[in-house]
Amino acid sequence: MAWAGLVARLVVGGVWIYAGLLKLPDPDQSVDAVRAYELLPGDLAVTVGQLLPVLEVVVGTALVLGLLVRGAAVVSAVLFVAFIVGIVSVWARGIEIDCGCFGGGGYDPDATSKYPWEIARDAALLAASLFLVRLPRSRWALDSVLFRSTDDRVAEPADETT
Amino acid sequence: MSKKTKAEERAARAAAALAERKRQERRRNILTGVAVVVAMVLIVGIGFLINKSRDEGGDEKAADTSDYELAVGPEDAPHSIVIYEDFLCPICRQLEQLSRDPLAKLAEEGKVRVSYRPFNLFQDEVRRPYSVAAAAAFAVVLDRAGDEVAKKFHDLLYENQPSEGGPFPDADWFVDLAVQAGADETDVRPGIEDGDGKDWVEGATQASDDLGINSTPTVFLDGSQFQDYRTMEDLAGNLVAAVD
Repeated sequence: MAWAGLVARLVVGGVWIYAGLLKLPDPDQSVDAVRAYELLPGDLAVTVGQLLPVLEVVVGTALVLGLLVRGAAVVSAVLFVAFIVGIVSVWARGIEIDCGCFGGGGYDPDATSKYPWEIARDAALLAASLFLVRLPRSRWALDSVLFRSTDDRVAEPADETT
Repeated sequence: MSKKTKAEERAARAAAALAERKRQERRRNILTGVAVVVAMVLIVGIGFLINKSRDEGGDEKAADTSDYELAVGPEDAPHSIVIYEDFLCPICRQLEQLSRDPLAKLAEEGKVRVSYRPFNLFQDEVRRPYSVAAAAAFAVVLDRAGDEVAKKFHDLLYENQPSEGGPFPDADWFVDLAVQAGADETDVRPGIEDGDGKDWVEGATQASDDLGINSTPTVFLDGSQFQDYRTMEDLAGNLVAAVD
């Protein structure tokens, strides 16, 4: 399970870093992509559009490095739920937009055919995130260096008493 | 007896030492955790502020006059609205449908000056030709037939907007619409057929590009970008409410 955790971290974290980095160079486009969902009021759409790419890169980096895995996985899961809700909602309302998941965004005439696959992808990543929330311990994680616990080596009797 | 006590004592001391060590570790772990969280929040916060400042770089300066526009309403109107648009952009069409009549009325009443600035946003092979041709035809009509006919032509272009994926109409179609808008066919046909307006489109596109405008519609109210909307209904409604 520790190895499965590592794989989950690398896949989910890698996707976040990739998605965030693609969006970072163009905050304007990222804001437009958020706005295209027609879910958030103007000012909030601007803030979310500017904040998301940074948050994605940081969450992704935390997962890849294995830093505060449980917390990062919670944030990751919450974001995926939000994205799935967003895509389902535009799909249901018949709005055809590029999801803006990896940069881009805005009107896309083929959007409807892409929504199911986008939802499936986000659902799979959500599942991986939830797995990490439940079992955050994994191989090669900074957490195991930073947060040592005596529980692992309880058996050792205290030396000074002998 | 005494041996057992000694053993118990030793176990008790070991347990106490272990508990103490665990306490210290827990304390250290919590501190480390807090430090990491604070560092991450700081990084996100700083990154967000950097992103925000980069995003707002191009916002404020776009609404001065332009050589590439059709303006409606008196120059000294108390409010100004500038709309950057592409004739092939479906959302622009939506905004047009929702805002055209109220804005025309407000402009007539002298409450606002509305500047339409069409340019070629779509740079891909499929959409670029129509986007350019429509804006070029608009430039010809504006040049040869005047503002009023050009406004009507502008409105007709949106009313009859083709689908983004094509098929796209030919020059005759533009000429027909121009005539319908009130232009004299002999005035506009040669210009539209020869693509005389293409330089204008290039200039308009360059001007928009220089301002960092990379989506349409981009709307400015009294000099600053108007972002207070969720849907085009909101945008049209809020715009009209702001200047009325």
